[in-house]
Amino acid sequence: MRRKLAVLLAGAGFLLATAPAWAHHSFAAEFDPNRPIKLKGTVTEMEWINPHSWIHLDVKGPDGKVVSWMVEGGSPNALLRRGFNKNSLPAGTEILIEGYQAKDGSNRANGRDITFANGKRLFLGSSGNGAPDDKAEK
Amino acid sequence: MSDRFPATFAAALGAVTVFVFLAPPASAQLGSSVLFAKEAATASSSTWTPPRTPDGVPDLQGVFTNSTVTPLERPKDLGTKEFFTRAEAEAYEKASLARKAATGPGTYADVHYDMAQFGLEKNQSKVADSIRTSLITGPDGRVPPMLPEARARQAARAALNKGHEFDGPENRGLSERCIIWNNEGPPMLPEGYNSNLQIVQGHGYVAIMQEMIHDVRIIPTDGSPHVSSKVRELMGDSRGHWEGNTLVVDTTNFTNRTALRGSSENLHVVERFTRTSPDTVTYQFTVDDPSTWAKSWSAEIPMTKIDGPIFEYACHEGNYGMPNNLSGARAEEKKAELAARKQ
Repeated sequence: MRRKLAVLLAGAGFLLATAPAWAHHSFAAEFDPNRPIKLKGTVTEMEWINPHSWIHLDVKGPDGKVVSWMVEGGSPNALLRRGFNKNSLPAGTEILIEGYQAKDGSNRANGRDITFANGKRLFLGSSGNGAPDDKAEK
Repeated sequence: MSDRFPATFAAALGAVTVFVFLAPPASAQLGSSVLFAKEAATASSSTWTPPRTPDGVPDLQGVFTNSTVTPLERPKDLGTKEFFTRAEAEAYEKASLARKAATGPGTYADVHYDMAQFGLEKNQSKVADSIRTSLITGPDGRVPPMLPEARARQAARAALNKGHEFDGPENRGLSERCIIWNNEGPPMLPEGYNSNLQIVQGHGYVAIMQEMIHDVRIIPTDGSPHVSSKVRELMGDSRGHWEGNTLVVDTTNFTNRTALRGSSENLHVVERFTRTSPDTVTYQFTVDDPSTWAKSWSAEIPMTKIDGPIFEYACHEGNYGMPNNLSGARAEEKKAELAARKQ
């Protein structure tokens, strides 16, 4: 019965999944809008994986203790098309991430905004205003 | 179905590899700007002859995007107005691309990514021009109302789903599980980002690979009939034939899991692909489902050529979102349990 139910629900889920155009899953289910966080740290790895890229970084707390975090970003395909590549965010880069922590309280977050130490945004993507691959296609 | 899926995919990939070697190179990109669909159709009939493959059938091959700013359904305030004037269309497109998500504090849009930072905004990619006010054609410009039996079916599903949405991975939607996305269709509707696809042709076959999320449609054009009605597939069974410059694809044998706007397994899709300019394939479809709507409805979406290649989107390779969603639900349940105990 449980299996049959699951199959039916999967169909219903697909229907509902048409709503958010920008993410393949629910933000609200994964992250907590009531837990905004600011993480200043050093990139240890950029995972170029689908459906979302993930940035790993080490964050030093006020007590000097280093804590590892992972932060969800956009899809690699879109980043690649806009000129972002494996050299754009190398290990050792200092960044500031503003986002929202995972609902389960683990050290995961979404990357609402990402800023380099010099104040530049990770990727100002709109055509004509500073995208790495600043070709106005349209 | 789930057992068969990987094998089907592997076979599809294999077939496409063969096609790439057999097929002639896609015609050169001419770099001309995309014509408006209506004008392109006129131009094609008078001054431009679409290319043919060595088999003598229309050559639809290339890498395209069907990204669009045109909504599927016409905004109600536009009534029966099916087309903008060119000036209106340009103003509409400009406004659509400039429009940012409302970011009132605490709203979903506010706490989600800054889309521009990840290259996910529409104004960061190429969009085919259109003077249509909606993708759905005709005076209504909207999906017809659902029949009472279809509404009852939908309500029953929703009732079953209620409270079980996060029981386990099987309860999540097919797209969240990286199994299939809406854009793969058929009908192939535009996706919010990475809305790209590649068409390749071989002798007796047309294959369409969607960047999102990984599927290849293999469409026989050899006159073979649909498979037995007992065989049901997530993307249905597609059979194609040529009518003049147009590829016509008929798809049946759906499951009840890939519901298009509440459709059932009786969904029937007829798609038409016509190369209307060097850079444009005009894609039209008509859907009917006697279990869902009293009448059929049709849409038209321009596909415009883009620089390839399309990229692999191996959706499941890093689907951390799935365990994260479930662990989020477990955390919520624990919180609710603790709160209940305190009372």
